[in-house]
Amino acid sequence: MKTLFTAAAIAAATLAAPALAQVQTPAEYVATAGASDLYEITSSRVVLETTSDARVREFAQMMIDHHTKSTADVKAAAGRSRVRPAPPQLNPTQAEFVTELRAETGPARDKAYVAQQKASHNQALAVQKAYAAEGTAPALKTTAGQIVPVVQSHIQMLMAM
Amino acid sequence: MKKLILVAALLGSAGAVGAQSTMSVNAPAPPPPPAVATQPPAPAADMKAVLDAHASLAPKPIETLSPLRARLQPSAADATRKVMRTRGLSTAPDPAVTTQDLPYGSDPMQYARIYKPVAAANTGAPLPVIVYYHGGGWVIADVNVYDAAPRLLSKQLNAIVVSVEYRHAPEAKFPAQHDDAAAAYRWTLQNAASWGGDAARMALAGESAGGNLAVATAIYARDNGLAAPLHILSVYPIANSDMTLPSRRDSANAKPLNTAMLAWFGHYYSTSMADQQDPRINLVKANLRGLPPTTIVNAQIDPLRSDGETLAVAMRAAGDKVEQRTFPGVTHEMFGMGSVVRGAYDANQYAVQRLKAALNVR
Repeated sequence: MKTLFTAAAIAAATLAAPALAQVQTPAEYVATAGASDLYEITSSRVVLETTSDARVREFAQMMIDHHTKSTADVKAAAGRSRVRPAPPQLNPTQAEFVTELRAETGPARDKAYVAQQKASHNQALAVQKAYAAEGTAPALKTTAGQIVPVVQSHIQMLMAM
Repeated sequence: MKKLILVAALLGSAGAVGAQSTMSVNAPAPPPPPAVATQPPAPAADMKAVLDAHASLAPKPIETLSPLRARLQPSAADATRKVMRTRGLSTAPDPAVTTQDLPYGSDPMQYARIYKPVAAANTGAPLPVIVYYHGGGWVIADVNVYDAAPRLLSKQLNAIVVSVEYRHAPEAKFPAQHDDAAAAYRWTLQNAASWGGDAARMALAGESAGGNLAVATAIYARDNGLAAPLHILSVYPIANSDMTLPSRRDSANAKPLNTAMLAWFGHYYSTSMADQQDPRINLVKANLRGLPPTTIVNAQIDPLRSDGETLAVAMRAAGDKVEQRTFPGVTHEMFGMGSVVRGAYDANQYAVQRLKAALNVR
């Protein structure tokens, strides 16, 4: 009987684990979204220093505007969700991306920028969609849902670049 | 008695250690497989430099993460660019090739990146066409991560390369990826001419999960009356579901791909354990008769090495013309590292020569 009980306990524990989705915590979501916005703004500023391509210039300026707004929106929602966001920080890969952009000149920098934007926007969309679907802090979840179509519109523009 | 039944019911569901995930990108990682002590062979010095660069970007072990978190980790391509940058090489996309993204289906993931050599723009002669599928275990990575190989093939073969994005798991499970791969091949056959391509000179190619899709799509073409490709280039494919293969053990702790990650991918892309035995995944048990001449490229330090080696044996037994090479001192993902890893460069050149001959490129 004891064995059976143990088996049942183990089974129950094993069952319980998969039931909990590994959704990002509110603080993790805020930090991830903040880092993503910071990378967008930083890299766009770098390309604006040198680009002579009107399409790249227009897109980069839009990225600065939109991602400054999403940072403010997430920060406000974080306050309503009682999450105190630390100042956003680039992760090591984002920092390397910016270093790589700075190492390029002329049209090569434009091309590197567009390639980076395509990769980073797919990641940004994944983060926002995941939190919009299953996030646990209601204000942040709503904000994520509002950011999703903005990121999707950026991806649509990038498909033509 | 009631208790006994309850226990049995609990064990019945929990006993499925490989229980499959939900369709959420937040679905938790499966329990890790038992640890294996065997350490992989040492990589070549230039290969080690890329692995060290990868470690410097602080990747978390994919096999412990949800799909969302896994998709945010640095890739081998990120590590390769870091090494290129530290050696003073440009990391910008090679301007000798232009790209255009075009949808082939209604899902946002159903699009392809068309690579076209700039040098061919004014010649007017139709170009050979290579349909290429990216890797990532059908769960992570995308056409952006796998840019190096299609760009290189386009430039070196003076060919159009169609790099196919497809729906990923767990949002879309097997066989969605195989369905999309086939649809993209059919779409390419119909549209190649409008891009300046020659639909009579087609090849299929892919890396890792995409190396599987290249072979599976050739099988689909054979069985569904589509024009056969002239050649298949399958780079370290997923091709054998036997988890006791030699490479599963000797490269269990390899990087950037380890054996635990293979189980992790399966957890997310399968609907049931039976999917692992489907001949579209377990290619060595598929009907392989009458397939085009094939080149299989493997890396020595790779849990999928035995997949490619056993697939070559199975295809030869079915009467196909197959060449297979395992490149020493290099790991999974090396095919995108030709600019900084000698073994990868050799593998690139080998693949290019094989495709040149097959596609009649001078």
